Amino acid sequence: MDKVSISIPASPQYLQVVRLIAAGLASRLTFTIDEIEDLKIAVDELAAYLTGTQGREGTIEIEFGVESDRIEIKGTGKFAPGDKIRTELTELSRQILKTVADDAVLELNDGLPSFSLTKNKHKQS
Amino acid sequence: MTERGSLSKEEARALFVEYRTATDERTRVALREKLVDQYIGLVEFLARRFKNRGEPLEDLTQVGMIGLLKVIERFDLDREVEFSTYATPTVVGELKRHFRDKGWAVRVPRRLQELHLELTKMIGLLGQDLGHSPTVAELAKATGHSEEQVLEGLEIANAYNFSSLDAPLDSDDEGSSTFADQMGSEDVQIENLEYWASLAPEVSKLPEREQHILFMRFFKGLTQSEIADKLGISQMHVSRLLNRTLARLRGAFED
Repeated sequence: MDKVSISIPASPQYLQVVRLIAAGLASRLTFTIDEIEDLKIAVDELAAYLTGTQGREGTIEIEFGVESDRIEIKGTGKFAPGDKIRTELTELSRQILKTVADDAVLELNDGLPSFSLTKNKHKQS
Repeated sequence: MTERGSLSKEEARALFVEYRTATDERTRVALREKLVDQYIGLVEFLARRFKNRGEPLEDLTQVGMIGLLKVIERFDLDREVEFSTYATPTVVGELKRHFRDKGWAVRVPRRLQELHLELTKMIGLLGQDLGHSPTVAELAKATGHSEEQVLEGLEIANAYNFSSLDAPLDSDDEGSSTFADQMGSEDVQIENLEYWASLAPEVSKLPEREQHILFMRFFKGLTQSEIADKLGISQMHVSRLLNRTLARLRGAFED
């Protein structure tokens, strides 16, 4: 699996960069526009838990894994211990992610809030 | 200080002549101020015609003033035409340009705005031709842009400030149907909206139409393109509306 990774300040304004990279990689796999839009929504939905609406102190490390038929994106918030961050998806988020991603997880990983998501390429018709 | 609009035609004309011939900068500034006072009523009158588009009247008046200042510099006294007749198209032009540029919540270069419009059209056309949502490569080929440019153009869609679902779909036509009209009330009206309400109280606080779009995408599983077809709007427009609504909902989840 090919890997691409970046680290961004934990602020919503940097999510655009993450969306662009996700879209760029998805485009290389010939995802359709609808699928790319879904991928962007999934990234936004999950990453928003880490950044909050106002941003936080710290960084988010994002790793994109590229396979011929899917993209996996993992994000980890490198925040000071004690930062209380919600790591449980709301019902609505769950429903949204179910539609736009093939797999989506938000969890506490070694004490750090993390997400991972997988989006498969459409089946060639 | 002249009272606004208080001068007669002859006096105003004399003021113009004085302004044109004055060489001292301070005198010119003072005379220009008098001219502005004379015609500010016209600017306010024209600005008011745009006031239902979601911008404060004071801001619009400021924009119109830019147009007024341009015309004051340009007005040709030798022409047999009223200043107000001469000024109106320029002031209106300035206001229209303001709306064309300010439809974007973030300053977006003209190049990208045009790219965005081009892509909006092409996604719909290609989708019909191909029978599926196009890929970036297909869009790039069809438009003659690079894939990077297409990606940039797609991302920039979110910078467009589609301020209201009640905004006319075509901003040049005030009487045209609004997005709300086109939603149609048939199939999704009653269906399972209670489900949404139970899913997240925040959703039920959204305008019904926004709930419907969320519902179609995330409950019925229609794609953005399918929703776009159903509503007779572009996929990009659906994308914008969804993104904006989701962003609003995320804000509501914050503790």
